[in-house]
Amino acid sequence: MARRGNSRPVDNTHRTENPGKKNPIRTVKARFMGTKLNILFIFIVVIFALLIFKIFYICRNDGTKYKRQVLSQQEYDSIVIPAKRGEIIDRNGTKLAVSQKVYNVCIDAKKLNEEDGKYLSDTLSLLFNSDIKFRYTEQEIRNYIAENPGSQYRVIAKKQSYDVVSNIMEAINDKENYPNVAGVWLEEDYMRSYPYNSLACDLLGFVQGDNEGAYGLEEYYNSTLNGTAGREYGYLNDDENLERTVKPAVDGYTLKTSIDVNIQSIVEKHILAFNKEHENEAREGNGSNNTGVIVMNPKTGEVIAMASYPVFDLNNPRDESNINVEFTKEMFYGEQEKDDETDDETDDETDEETGEETDDAQDSENNESSENNENSENADTNNSDDALSLGITTPTQEEVTTNGQTYEEAYEQAKMEAYNALWKNFCINSTYEPGSTMKPFTMATGIEEGIFSGDESYVCNGLLEVGDHVIHCNNRLGHGVLSFSGALEQSCNVAFMKMGATLGKTLFMKYNKLFNFGLKTNIDLTGEARTETLVFNENAMNPTDLAIGSFGQGFNVTMIQMITGYCSLINGGKYYQPHVVTEIVDSNGATIEKIEPRVLKQTVSEETSEEIRQLCINVVSEGTGKSARPAGYMIGGKTGTAETLPRGNQEYIVSFLGFAPADNPELAIYTVIDRPNVPQQASAKYATVLTKDILTEVLPYLNIPKTEEITEKEAEELKEKQIEFADSSQEEEVENTEVNNEENADGANSTETEEETKSVIEIVDEKGNPVNSETLDEEYKPKEIKIDKETGYAIDPVTGEFLDPNTGQLIDGGSDLPE
Amino acid sequence: MAERRRTKKQQNTVKHFDYTLLTVVFFLLCIGLVMLFSVSSYDANLTFNDSTYYLKNQLKNTIFGIIIMFVVMNIDYHRLDRLSFIAIVVSAVLIALVMTPLGYEANGARRWLNLGVSLQPAEVAKVGIIIFSASKVCRISQKKLATPRGIIEMLLPSLIIAVMVWQITENLSSAIIIMGIGVVMVYMATPGYKPYAIIVLSVAFFATITVLLVTNGVLTEELSYRFGRIRAWIYPETYASTTAFQTLQALYAIGSGGFFGKGLGQSLQKQFVPEAQNDMIFAIICEELGMFGALLIVFLFIVLLWRISIIVNNSNDLFGAMLSVGVLAHIAIQVILNLAVVTNTIPNTGISLPFISYGGSSVVFLLIEIGIVLSVAKNTKYDY
Repeated sequence: MARRGNSRPVDNTHRTENPGKKNPIRTVKARFMGTKLNILFIFIVVIFALLIFKIFYICRNDGTKYKRQVLSQQEYDSIVIPAKRGEIIDRNGTKLAVSQKVYNVCIDAKKLNEEDGKYLSDTLSLLFNSDIKFRYTEQEIRNYIAENPGSQYRVIAKKQSYDVVSNIMEAINDKENYPNVAGVWLEEDYMRSYPYNSLACDLLGFVQGDNEGAYGLEEYYNSTLNGTAGREYGYLNDDENLERTVKPAVDGYTLKTSIDVNIQSIVEKHILAFNKEHENEAREGNGSNNTGVIVMNPKTGEVIAMASYPVFDLNNPRDESNINVEFTKEMFYGEQEKDDETDDETDDETDEETGEETDDAQDSENNESSENNENSENADTNNSDDALSLGITTPTQEEVTTNGQTYEEAYEQAKMEAYNALWKNFCINSTYEPGSTMKPFTMATGIEEGIFSGDESYVCNGLLEVGDHVIHCNNRLGHGVLSFSGALEQSCNVAFMKMGATLGKTLFMKYNKLFNFGLKTNIDLTGEARTETLVFNENAMNPTDLAIGSFGQGFNVTMIQMITGYCSLINGGKYYQPHVVTEIVDSNGATIEKIEPRVLKQTVSEETSEEIRQLCINVVSEGTGKSARPAGYMIGGKTGTAETLPRGNQEYIVSFLGFAPADNPELAIYTVIDRPNVPQQASAKYATVLTKDILTEVLPYLNIPKTEEITEKEAEELKEKQIEFADSSQEEEVENTEVNNEENADGANSTETEEETKSVIEIVDEKGNPVNSETLDEEYKPKEIKIDKETGYAIDPVTGEFLDPNTGQLIDGGSDLPE
Repeated sequence: MAERRRTKKQQNTVKHFDYTLLTVVFFLLCIGLVMLFSVSSYDANLTFNDSTYYLKNQLKNTIFGIIIMFVVMNIDYHRLDRLSFIAIVVSAVLIALVMTPLGYEANGARRWLNLGVSLQPAEVAKVGIIIFSASKVCRISQKKLATPRGIIEMLLPSLIIAVMVWQITENLSSAIIIMGIGVVMVYMATPGYKPYAIIVLSVAFFATITVLLVTNGVLTEELSYRFGRIRAWIYPETYASTTAFQTLQALYAIGSGGFFGKGLGQSLQKQFVPEAQNDMIFAIICEELGMFGALLIVFLFIVLLWRISIIVNNSNDLFGAMLSVGVLAHIAIQVILNLAVVTNTIPNTGISLPFISYGGSSVVFLLIEIGIVLSVAKNTKYDY
C-alpha cells in the first residue's frame, strides 16, 4: 500500500522550488517527505500489530481465567431480584394459585466484624430473638462469621414470612433506635401457595425448585407465569465507591381459567365421599383405583371442573404420608420373589378366571392406571403386596446385579414413581377402554351417513357370533326385540355389533378419527397421553375388532378425548379445542391474550346432533341412565361399563357421559370410576349416582331452572342430602347404599334396565356351543329360564352358568355366591 | 508550451475525490453507533429510563459533524492558512476559559465549556495545533528547519498548548496527543531522523526509569496519583478493586470474548467496565465481537490512515500535505493510545477511540479534520 505512495514523490522532483518567487511561504513539499511518511506509516502499522498481538495474547493466555472471573463477578456483584410468578384464577377471579412475598435473611460477615465487632452482639441478639427459622444453628452462624471475615453475603434463613421478619426490617431501617444493627439485610423472594390446598391439584400442578412448574397449568404455562427477574448490581463510580443500581423485575402473567371453584369443590367433595364410602370395601385401599370427573361447557370447549382421586396438597406435594412406598430391604434382596405386575386384587377371582390377553399395550396401560390410585393407600399397611401394587418395580436379585442399583437408589426410584403416579392427571393422562359410552358415537356415524334411519329394530338373543368369537350381551337371556332408541337405552351390545357390521370398518374408523380418537386434543395442560398406538389400525382390523369397537372395547381413549368428542355430538357437531385458560393478563390487569373458543372441525350435522341428544335423553328417561337424573331436571347421557384387561378378572371401569339440561345443554359431564372397590364392579350405577350427586348441586348453583316435577321420594332424598351436606360427619348416603342392595328389584326402580351391559368375550373352543348367527338375526326366541332352587339364580340354558334372574347378568364362580 | 498549457488546463479540470476515505469513515461511524447502542443501552435504560439516550445524543452529534465535514470539504483549505494564528489563539483562549465560570466539571474533571453547547477545548486545540503547525512549516525555510533551533521553534506552540491542556484542564492524555501531533508534523517537515530517534529513545528511557522507580517504591502514590496508576498498571491484580478496577475489568472483557466473541449485545462486562461506552468501548467490542471484531476495527483504521497518507503524497503543496499529516498523526496517536490503555499496555489514562467512543466534541472535530483532508484531496491536481 505504502509503495504506491512511494512512487509519487518522484514526480515532485519536477516541481522543485521556484527560486524566483519572493513569497516566503513555501508551497512545495520536500523530497524526503515521501520516505518519511512511509517510515511513519510502517511504524504505526507495527504498533498496531503489536497491540493486536497483545489482544491475542490476552485471549489465549488468560481467556479461560477471565471468562470464569466474568461469570463469578456476575454472581458476586449482582443480585437477582426475583419476579413475581403470575397467579392462576378461576372464572370468577377466585385465586387458585398465588405468589407471596417472602424474605431471605442474609448476613455480611465483613460488616459484622468491623469496628471490633461493635455490630455483632446487637445484630445477632436481634436475629436470634426473632421467630426466624434459621438454616443453621446459632453456633454455626457465629462460627461462620468468625471464620469468614471477608464474606459479604450469606443466606442464613430462607423464605420467611413478613410477620416473622418485620421487626428486623424495622431495625435495619431505624438507625436512631438501632444504631448497632448492621451487616444484615433481607432479600425478597416469592413463594407459591395454593389457598385451596388440594383443590384441582392435578389440573393446577405445582412449582418446584427454581420457579419451575411441574404438571398441569403450572408446567404448561410455565414461561407465561414466570416473569423476568430483575437485577441489582454494584459498580464503581469515579470516586471508586461501590454504587448499587436496580433494574426491577417484570412480574409474570396471570392466568384466568374457565374453572369454577364452586363446581370444582362440589365435584371433588362427591368424589371424595364416594371413595371414602367404598374404602376397604372389597379389598384394601381406596374406594376406587381412580375416579375422574370432567365438567365442560359444550358450547365453548372450556373446562369448568376437572378432578380426580386420589389428591395431594399442592402446598406440600412431597408429603410422604400421601404415598406409600413399601419398599423393604427384603424385597430388594429378592427374598420374596414376586411378579411386579401382580395387582392388589381379591385373590380368589384372579386365579380362577384367566381371561384372554389380547393387547399387551392395553395391559400395561391398565396397570398404569392402577398404579395411579394405589399410591395413596394408608401408610400403616405393612403388607408387602400393597407396595408391589404401587407399580414399584421390585428388582429381583438378578436385576440388582445387572442394574448395579443400590438399595437406596432403588428405594428413591420407587418413591419417585409413586409420587409421579400421584401427581399426574388421571383425566388426561390415563388411557382405558371407554365401553358403552362409545355407543352414541357409533350411532352418530350411521345417522350422519344416512345408514341408520332410526326405524331399525334389532333382535338380541343374548349373544352374537362374530368371527371366531362368541360375544355375549350383558343380558345373556337376550334383550328381545329392540327399537333403534331401545338399543341405546338398554345398551344392547348385540344390537351395536350389528350396527358396527352395517357401518363397516372403513366408515367406523373414518368417524373415529373425526371424533379425534387416537389423536391428542391438545388441551392446555401438561401430560396428555398419546393414544395413537392404542386405537384400531384399519388395515389390521378384523370383524371381531369392529364388533367390540362398536361398543367401546378393544381400543383406548383418554377422558378428555371422550368428553370433547361428546360435546361435539350434542352441540350441533362443533368440535371445540378443549382448554382451561381463557385469558392471560399482565400484573397491571391488562389483557395480553384472550383465548376464544375455537372450532377445530365439524364432526356431525346439527340434525344428527339433535337426534343423538334425544337418544341420550331417552337413555336417562327410559333406560340404563335413570339413576343419573338429578331431581327436578332432565338430562341426557350414556352409561358405560368397560371390562378391563386381562379379561375375566371381573374388573370394570364404570362411567357416565352426559349433558344437562336436556333441552339446552349448558354443561357436559363425564364421570369415570376405575375399578370401584365393591364386590360387583360391573354396575354403571356407581358412576350415574355420582353424576347425579354432582349435578343435583351444580345445576341449581348455575341457576338452571327445574323443569321436572319432584316426586315425594326425590323430595325426601333432597332433604336428607341437605342435612347430610350440612353435617359432614354423617357419612351414610341413601343412594349409594341402595346400589349395593341386591334386593332392590322392585318395579319402581326397574333394576333390570338400569344395569349396564357388559361384554364378555370368549373363545368358542373354550366355551363351546356356537350358536347359529342366522337364527339370531331373524327372530327372538325367549329362553325358558330355570331357576336354581338353592341359590335363587337363573340358569343359562346354553352354558348352564348362573345368571341374575332380573338382569341376565352372569354371576361369578361358585365361591362368590351368597349363602 | 501550448501543449503544456493544455495539459495544465486538463489537470485543473480533473478533480479527485477520495471515496475510499469517506467510506471508511462512515463505516467506522456506523460500527461505532451500533457498538455504542449495544454497550450503553443497559446503562441508559437504568439511568435515563431510555435505552437510546446515548445513541440519540451521539447520532445528533455525528449528523451535525457530517454536515460540517461537507461544508469544510468544499472550502479551499488554503483559506485556513490565513486563519492559522486565530486558530491557535482561539484554542488557547478556550482552554483558559475553562478556569472561568463557563467551564464545568463532569465525571470528576473540569474539562468542559458551556457555550450554549458543551465543548471540550482540548478537541478544538487539536485542530488548532494542526492548522497552526502546518501554516508555520510553510513559513520557516527548509534550511532553518534543519537546525535544532528551527525544530524548537516549531515545537514550542504545541508544547505551550499541551502544557495548558495538561495543567488547566487536567487532561494529560489530550496534552500527550497534542504534543504528539506537533512532533510528528515537525518530523515530516524536517530532514533527518536522528532527533526523532532520540526523542523516542529518551521517552522510552524515562518511562523505563519511572517504572523501575515505581516498582522499587521510590516513587510512591503519595507523591502523585500518577505513580499509583503506574503501580496499578504493573500489578493490576493487587489493585483489582481500586485503581486497576477499570483496566482489569476491560481485560476480563477482552479475555472472556475470546477469538469469536460472545455476539453482539451479549456482553456481561458492560455492567462492570466503567466508561464502557467511552474510553473502554474497545474492550466491549473485543468481548462481543472477539478478536476478529478487534481486527476489523484496526484494519479500518489502517485503511483510513493509508488513504490519508496517499493524500499527503499526492498533495501538490506543502500546506495541504502538512494539514493531512497532522490529521493522520492525531488519529493514529489516539487510536494507538486507546488500544494500549484498553489492553493495559500503558498505564490507564482517559483516551477515547476516534469515531467510535461516545463524545460529541470528539466526533465533531474529528469529522472537521476529515473534511480538511478531503478538501486537500479535492484540490489536488494530478498530472497524468
